[in-house]
Amino acid sequence: MSNPLHAKFYADQATQSSVEVVENLEMARDTYRVRFRCPEIAARALPGQFVMLRLANYDDPLIGRPLAVYDVLQSQAGEPESIDVLYLVKGKLTTRLVNFQPGQRLDVWGPLGNGFEPIATSHLVMVAGGIGQTPFVCLAKEYLGLQSFGTPAREPARSKRVTLCYGGRSAELLAGVEDFKQLGVDVRIATDDGSLGHHGLVTDVLSRVLAESEQECQVVCCGPEPMMEAVAKVTANADVPCRVSLETPMACGIGICFTCVAKVRDDSGEWDYKRTCVDGPVFDAELIEW
Amino acid sequence: MTDNNVAKSDLSVQLGRLTLANPILVASGTFGYAREMERLVDLSRLGGILPKTITKAPRAGNHPWRTIETSAGLLNSIGLDNDGIDAFIAHHLPYLASLSTSVIVSIAGRSQDEFVELASRLSEEDGIAGLELNISCPNVTGGVDYGTDPTLCEKLVANVRESCRLPVIAKLTPNVTCIADIACAAAAGGADAVSLINTVLGMAIDWKRQRPMLGNVVGGLSGPAIKPVALRCVHQVARAVDIPIIGIGGISNIDDAMEFLVAGASAVQIGTANYYDPTVSMTILDQLPDALKQLGATRTDDIVRSLQLPEPVEPATVAPTA
Repeated sequence: MSNPLHAKFYADQATQSSVEVVENLEMARDTYRVRFRCPEIAARALPGQFVMLRLANYDDPLIGRPLAVYDVLQSQAGEPESIDVLYLVKGKLTTRLVNFQPGQRLDVWGPLGNGFEPIATSHLVMVAGGIGQTPFVCLAKEYLGLQSFGTPAREPARSKRVTLCYGGRSAELLAGVEDFKQLGVDVRIATDDGSLGHHGLVTDVLSRVLAESEQECQVVCCGPEPMMEAVAKVTANADVPCRVSLETPMACGIGICFTCVAKVRDDSGEWDYKRTCVDGPVFDAELIEW
Repeated sequence: MTDNNVAKSDLSVQLGRLTLANPILVASGTFGYAREMERLVDLSRLGGILPKTITKAPRAGNHPWRTIETSAGLLNSIGLDNDGIDAFIAHHLPYLASLSTSVIVSIAGRSQDEFVELASRLSEEDGIAGLELNISCPNVTGGVDYGTDPTLCEKLVANVRESCRLPVIAKLTPNVTCIADIACAAAAGGADAVSLINTVLGMAIDWKRQRPMLGNVVGGLSGPAIKPVALRCVHQVARAVDIPIIGIGGISNIDDAMEFLVAGASAVQIGTANYYDPTVSMTILDQLPDALKQLGATRTDDIVRSLQLPEPVEPATVAPTA
């Protein structure tokens, strides 16, 4: 866009619809996956984009929640048909959402945000913490050539190798590990309590993966801010490009409320508040003022 | 029957020198600069668009967290995050002016001189239908005095009117003892209309961390939670002034909009609902002709200020104190 003050990405592909819940399953402790039918959004969603989800006709909770597109499912005819999102049960909305049954309806608008641009690499290293694995199923599918996204399908970037470094407090909180393994992703786990994988931080695992990889690498990262900041330091030291998907709280998801701002540096090195919903949520890690 | 009642309805409204195609507007600060909503909303159908408030100099805005959800409401302390008037004129106004919709530019100054300077500069630009003076934002220092002190309010409105050719709307705060007094002052200063209410001062606390939730400690409450307060304010102001009123505060469906019109508003602005139901303005607009018809009306004006009060009314509860 020629206008420097315009966001890089607006809700140019977004629609708002009342959608039907198809299933709502527990994936791990306090973590659920809700699937809903929304062919229009499914057809347009790109890896790393998100949707806003709200309980229709509720005044409390009032505001929608941003949730990453976890997976785009196709009909038997091969048409994009529904979307999966993963959610952690921790507030008013998600506590109620747990009880939603197939056939009940939700308000959804999307797809939103810039998502991950397809940038080719020999080895894509995805780093997730907490519930930060959610944008990476679609991304892995695209990089491994298993599914295309967007209408018309965008030109994908490919990678011969995709690794997920996934850190959590405890094994019982890790969700979707099998989904990644089934795609052919090399999954490396770290847990705070040592209940699975490396006993320690996900950055330890990342450092090892980067040290061992003999290929040109690219890192993408999503998780709690302190973890992303730590990952950004590791990648900066290793001179590996890193993109982060910020989990800033949002109220609208479409750029009109100016809630979800993060300090992002421009070319001159000065920071300004940018809306993560329309300028992000994906940013080059080196531009973030942590 | 001919086509339908929609064709027969005259939804247009007159706000002083300002004519709008219909009474459904979107409130400043809740609709970005309109470009953001292009895909979701047919902007040409709106009665008016109020882009995010602009100030003389760029403002980074307040520290996060900037909004906190409360029961049926939203607290915000955004802090007038904007790129200033130069950037607005250079980058946002051309787009806004290209829309076939009335654009009412919301301005905020820290002093009377700043308000006058902003107004006279915008007065030279094409594509602006009117100005809304934001003398009611609770999240900045300076400028709010004009919304709480009748003498300052009247003087400010009069000076702004003198300095520009555009219709002037004063946006009022509910955080005063008697909002009707402020509305009277705005009318005396020559305001074409008043819009009310801006947000209600509020606060949220995380008791476990013993800290305020908002980056700016206190903020403004909006959403359905404040609708009763807003309706009361519109009712009081309607009984105190003759100039048109634009009702704002928690409007999220056709019933809410109709309540404001009956209470005395000639038009309404939809605010926070845009955040959680982005197409709400279109829904309300679609349902307006039918709602008017339910009251036997075909024109918006037919039902404005149509509230019937029980007799006798105690004057002390509804009349201004001055």
